[in-house]
Amino acid sequence: MAQDSVDLSCDYQFWMQKLSVWDQASTLETQQDTCVHLARFQEFLRKMYEALKEMDSNTIFERFPTIDQLLAKACWNPFILAYDGFLHCCPDESQKILIWCLCCLINKEPQNSRQSKLNSWVQGVLSHILSALRFDKEVALFTQGLGYAPIDYYPGLLKNMVLSLASELRENHLNGFNTQRRMTPERLASLSRVCVPLITLPDVDPLVEALLVCHGHEPQEILQPEFFEAVNEAILLKKISLPMSAVVCLWLRHLPSLEKAMLHLFEKLISSERNCLRRIECFIKDSLLPQAACHPAIFRVVDEMFRCALLETDGAPEIIATIQVFTQCFLEALEKENKQLRFALKTYFPYTSPSLAMVLLQDPQDVPRGRWLQTLKHISELLREAVEDQTHGSRGGPLESWFLFIRFGGWAEMVAEQLLRSAAEPPAALLWLLAFYYSPRDGRQQRAQTMVQVKAVLGHLLAMSRSSSLSAWDLQTAAGQDTDTDPRAPAQQLIRHLLLHFVLWAPGGHTIARDVVTLVSPWGPASEYSPGMSSPW
Amino acid sequence: MESLLQHLDRFSELLAVSRTAHVRTWDPVTVRRALQWARYLRHIHRRFGRHGPIRTALERRLHNQWRQEGGFGRGPVPGLANFQALGHGDVLLSLRLLENQALGDAARHHLVQQLFPGPGVPDADEETLQESLARLARCGSAVHMLRFNGYRKNLNLQEDSLMKTQAELLLERLQEVGKAEAEGPSRFLSRLWERLPQNNFLKVIAVALLQPPLSPRPQEESEPSIHKTPGEGSQALVHWLLGNSEVFAAFCRALPAGLLTLVTSRHPALSPVYLGLLTDWGQRLHYDLQKGIWVGTESQDVPWEELHNRFQSLCQAPPPLKDKVLTALETCKAQDGDFEVPGLSIWTDLLLALRSGAFRKRQVLGLSPGLSSV
Repeated sequence: MAQDSVDLSCDYQFWMQKLSVWDQASTLETQQDTCVHLARFQEFLRKMYEALKEMDSNTIFERFPTIDQLLAKACWNPFILAYDGFLHCCPDESQKILIWCLCCLINKEPQNSRQSKLNSWVQGVLSHILSALRFDKEVALFTQGLGYAPIDYYPGLLKNMVLSLASELRENHLNGFNTQRRMTPERLASLSRVCVPLITLPDVDPLVEALLVCHGHEPQEILQPEFFEAVNEAILLKKISLPMSAVVCLWLRHLPSLEKAMLHLFEKLISSERNCLRRIECFIKDSLLPQAACHPAIFRVVDEMFRCALLETDGAPEIIATIQVFTQCFLEALEKENKQLRFALKTYFPYTSPSLAMVLLQDPQDVPRGRWLQTLKHISELLREAVEDQTHGSRGGPLESWFLFIRFGGWAEMVAEQLLRSAAEPPAALLWLLAFYYSPRDGRQQRAQTMVQVKAVLGHLLAMSRSSSLSAWDLQTAAGQDTDTDPRAPAQQLIRHLLLHFVLWAPGGHTIARDVVTLVSPWGPASEYSPGMSSPW
Repeated sequence: MESLLQHLDRFSELLAVSRTAHVRTWDPVTVRRALQWARYLRHIHRRFGRHGPIRTALERRLHNQWRQEGGFGRGPVPGLANFQALGHGDVLLSLRLLENQALGDAARHHLVQQLFPGPGVPDADEETLQESLARLARCGSAVHMLRFNGYRKNLNLQEDSLMKTQAELLLERLQEVGKAEAEGPSRFLSRLWERLPQNNFLKVIAVALLQPPLSPRPQEESEPSIHKTPGEGSQALVHWLLGNSEVFAAFCRALPAGLLTLVTSRHPALSPVYLGLLTDWGQRLHYDLQKGIWVGTESQDVPWEELHNRFQSLCQAPPPLKDKVLTALETCKAQDGDFEVPGLSIWTDLLLALRSGAFRKRQVLGLSPGLSSV
């Protein structure tokens, strides 16, 4: 407690000084500084309130003799008054906390005229916060003459001002050469700064949108970074609703915002307990990233971040699953895009051969059953070519192709199904595909070994499928699974995958499905397993 | 119903008193009761906003009150202005009391406690008074910040946001006054003319006359009525302008040519009077042989340049107006003797100036100097 109060006193001095410098926040520097400190100042106010509400007016003044000045200075700073603490876990607008602090100063039973005067003063400041801020004398006289109070017309006035500014921005954007009505960079920067505390006020949305979308004609970025950060936070916390075009503009203009959005998505995925595909899809669609990724520049950044994640986690199946869901959402979004504005495939996948990209991008479900084998062999061929041909100048070598391949989980599924359903000798091409999918960095020998292993397992499984009764144990033994090997080793993952597929497709397999899943899952019962996944959670 | 109306009356009185020194006598109980009444009426507003008959009855009662108080334009409205105001009667009351320094210590303390109880459970149903006040503060700061950091006065007055807002308010009020009594608007406008800064008032009228006609929204009762049809309000304005020649003269003098042209195009009833005024102004000028220009006799006479400006603007208006103007000019010229030589009739000279202006414009634009339409 004592430490808290010492901290408070230190903070008090700090903020007192800051507020004195900021004054009414009328210059560029003071506005910028205010914006940067808004959240911290609100925290301080909250702490003050917690302290003040326990004391009576006299004690307060003994402890903080200049408290009235501090609060008054804060009240005269429109940025502070306008801010709402949406970033905090218990959001209460700055105005309210300020008002509560002021209320604490009131003497319940004033003993002398000085205390009475203080009460009067507090009343005056409260009144100022709520109703003054009148600017044009003429406007004030006019509205009064008509019998209107600010509460009647402020919302309408705000709306008109916002719309007028938004249309001015749009005009500036379209008629860049009409220098008379051009918006100066200073004015634009000023506007963006002013929006920072107002971000979550719905009336200001059209202005925010216009600022994002109308980028004028200057070669460098004019809008303040605080503005972009504030908008981005509001979008991530769902405190603002902007059209997709505005969000895309934000992320194109301010890379840190895009990165933050991706990190936010990752955090959500990691922190949520057990993610089934549906929930992953929900999170991903919610993040607006798939739609934004229809713009190639954004797609590339997102892609890069996914790759980093993959490399850092050594190809973790969770990341792969996320990428696959993302790609699916992305393709859906791309489909909905205006056909005329669509970018060529090459812009999204610049380092892969067009033929490979074309083939992989088709929907596996569109391929008729009869042509599965052919298609898969073709894919295998192309991939093998891309992987083994190092001299082509393709960046990254085998990993590049692998990145592309794993995006589309449907093909791996198809390979597994094809292998298990056909009684014929498993084609080497398909075995190669599976081995490559699960372990892209293997050398030729290692891969060949894996292929042999898989072939053996397949043989066993096919034999078992002809037998009348199946048991989970038999299956496991047949697959050569034992508890010593690392369940996350790629070959083990592969085999597990085949097992699960087998259980789905073999007649009578569903009876032992539950047991198998229990046995083979490295985490125990995966009650949220759903077919069609490429790796078990 | 009757008790409701009485409630309304009493609250209106309360609101009126809240501005005066009389609140010195208020104690905490009075304050609490006043706020309770306000809350009750807000509840009424929510419940009966869409209910035609009750709403109409309430509005009629309020309008009667105005009439008794001498109607609007007499000063800041003491009581409630319209049905909409019921929706935020508590805010109005709170603000008036907060502004009133005559409030006693005990009452003040109680008021502040009631208005700002502190963090707590938000009312799921409707916004608490504290929320409304905080929102108002936020809105006010927003307006303030935009005004001083982004706003720039728009040279096209009808697009300027401050002007537009004032115009919208004027039209709304006119509509209400019109509903209360048939002759209301004209009297109301006359009173405003006497009380308000006239220059600003004239500009607002012009902007009001140019507001786009909005389709009437049928059941938007609970929302601020700031966007109702301006049609009736405009009619009232035109009617008033036509009935008050000195106001109209000031209107035409004070406002820029372009704006007047837009207004007269939009409201054809005004064009004959406007043209009449311009003709009068023109006739007051005489030709100064030495200087070679048309001059006025008195200082307040409209100079040649301004006259020319206005006619030029009118000639750039779309057809019905433009043709009327040209016809008028031709008629005047004929009446004067139909001279073709400059310096004898101002109308000849005006027509010459307008034609050459148009000719020069066509040259600049690269159009062929064929038969000009002037």
